Amino acid sequence: MRSVPPQTGDTAPPLRLPTIDGQSFDLAEIRGRHVLVSFLRHAG
Amino acid sequence: MKVIKHHQRLDEAGATAVFVAHDDPVVLRESMLAGLSCPFPVLVDADRSSYEAWGLNRASFARIWLDPKVWKQYGRLLRSGERIRTMGTDTRQLGGDFILDPQGVIAYSRPQRRDDRPPVGRLLTVIEHGTPSS
Repeated sequence: MRSVPPQTGDTAPPLRLPTIDGQSFDLAEIRGRHVLVSFLRHAG
Repeated sequence: MKVIKHHQRLDEAGATAVFVAHDDPVVLRESMLAGLSCPFPVLVDADRSSYEAWGLNRASFARIWLDPKVWKQYGRLLRSGERIRTMGTDTRQLGGDFILDPQGVIAYSRPQRRDDRPPVGRLLTVIEHGTPSS
């Protein structure tokens, strides 16, 4: 089943991934400020 | 990634940005990150599990490559001096832009429907004023 993008007012889904430099990143750790999360379409 | 040029404005608003990509880091460094100093984290979601969790699916071939708006956009970019770069591993994967407020609640949600992105100015307006510009 296809998931649905979060809408305004929803709690953001978790986002825990490695950075391009191999470090770990957890979105929850930078709460307290506005964050733009930008998912890129492809590398081109 | 045009927002990188406005990182000072983000800083002044007390905000930050995070980019998520699904391509191989080597491909990313040789393409969109080439010659670019990105002050924000670039995350790698190789299996696209986070894309899926955030509801970002794949478009049909026709929606991406038979859309005249896409070709017009590429034409504009090339005329502005952009060069043709290596394509990523899956050109049908859709992205999206989301702005979270300080509590981690979505203040702005704009998943892609094709190869479209909201103007950077709109994203900055949401961050600075809480509402998108018209």
